Order: sequence, then C-alpha cells, then structure tokens
Amino acid sequence: MEPIESPEIVCDAGPLIHLDELECLDLLNDFAAIWVPNPVADEVEKHRPRVLRNPTVTLRQTPGQHTPASRLSTLARSLSLHRGELAALALMQDHPEAIFLTDDTAARLAAKSLGYRVHGTIGVLLRAFRVGKRTRSALVSILRTLPVRSTLHVRKELLDEVLANLNQAKRPDS
Amino acid sequence: MTTTLSAEVPPRLMEEIQALVDAGWFSSRDELVVDALRRFIDSHSGELTGSFIREDIEWGLRGAD
Repeated sequence: MEPIESPEIVCDAGPLIHLDELECLDLLNDFAAIWVPNPVADEVEKHRPRVLRNPTVTLRQTPGQHTPASRLSTLARSLSLHRGELAALALMQDHPEAIFLTDDTAARLAAKSLGYRVHGTIGVLLRAFRVGKRTRSALVSILRTLPVRSTLHVRKELLDEVLANLNQAKRPDS
Repeated sequence: MTTTLSAEVPPRLMEEIQALVDAGWFSSRDELVVDALRRFIDSHSGELTGSFIREDIEWGLRGAD
C-alpha cells in the first residue's frame, strides 16, 4: 500500500471522547498534527480526562485566543455554537488545509459553510480500515457495539448503512 | 395552538435577547426564542445528520488521505 499523506486535524471534544470510549483514540496517531484548542481540552477534561493523558496520541493543545472572523461570529450566533466549537473553528482559520473533526451537526454545518473539510468519528473509524489500522471484522464489532459503548448517537438505519458500506468496501491495495 | 414553555435564562443572555428586541430584529422576546429554537432544530435535522454520515463513509472508505 502506498503511504498516504495524512493531513493535520483540528479537534472538537466529541470525536476525542467518542473514540476513547471505543478504545480507538490511537486511530488519530497517523495524522500530521492533532490540534486541540484549550476550550476543547477543558471540555474533554471535564467529561473524559483520561483522553488528555492517553500515551498513544500527541495532542497539541493551543490557547483558544484566536479572534473569530466576522462570518464565523455570525455563524456561531445563528447556530448556537458552544465555546469549544467556536474555538476550534477559529483555530481552523490558521490551519485551513486541516480537517475539522466534530460530531456536532451545527458545528459541522458551520465548518462546511466556511469551506473547511470536516468529518466525524464515523469517518475516522472507517478510515482505519482503508489505511490498515483495523481489520474489517474488528471495525464491524466496534460499530455494532457503538450504541452501548459510546455516547455518540447514530440512528440505527444510518449505522446499518455504515456497516453495509464497510462490508462491501475493498482496501486500496486489495 | 401554542404551548407555553418556561426556562431560566442567565441575566447576560437575557440582556442580549432584549437588545435584539430593542433593536427591532424581533417584535418580542417570545418571537426571538421561537426563531432560535426553529434554527436549532433545523441545524440538527435527521436529513442533515444522514448526509454528514454519508460524507464520512465516502472519505473513510474511499478518501485519499
């Protein structure tokens, strides 16, 4: 398999928490950099502090003092974004080529409106199959138990769609 | 027919609500709250969630990075 060029990511709290709940935080360790603004780190510390001390990933915490551009401020108000989400999107202003990781629909909508690439926990899990970090059977098991092992809410029909796609998928080198 | 909801609102948020009403953006605080709730529900719709999950499937399984 040819090595892929992994982008940097800017994280919201959700994917960090959900991936850790699924024992999958290590899936982030091949990204070029994992940026976590301090307000997001504060949120993670409150809900799942062990994420910040997980030795399998190097999280680059950074002060969340970036001033949001006016368009972002407007979106943040109209979509009722939380402090961490706003800080992460403000940090994206400095890393526009990065992928923004969030499981929050409103934050994701704002990121797309601003032209950023954005994905969530499900995308990171499926990517693990593509890049060879998890087997298909391991991922099927993780996805099937996701509703009881994690606080990520995915409707059953959507989860079934994810599983069906995974079962039909081929790795690039196969 | 409408239903009445009651909620405790922090003073600073209430000041911002009142400022928007005073500036003429909304005719009343009730109208502002209903509009805000509608926007929130729109931005959390099932259809939107489904489209985002499908984007994750595409990137996760067939993406390039």
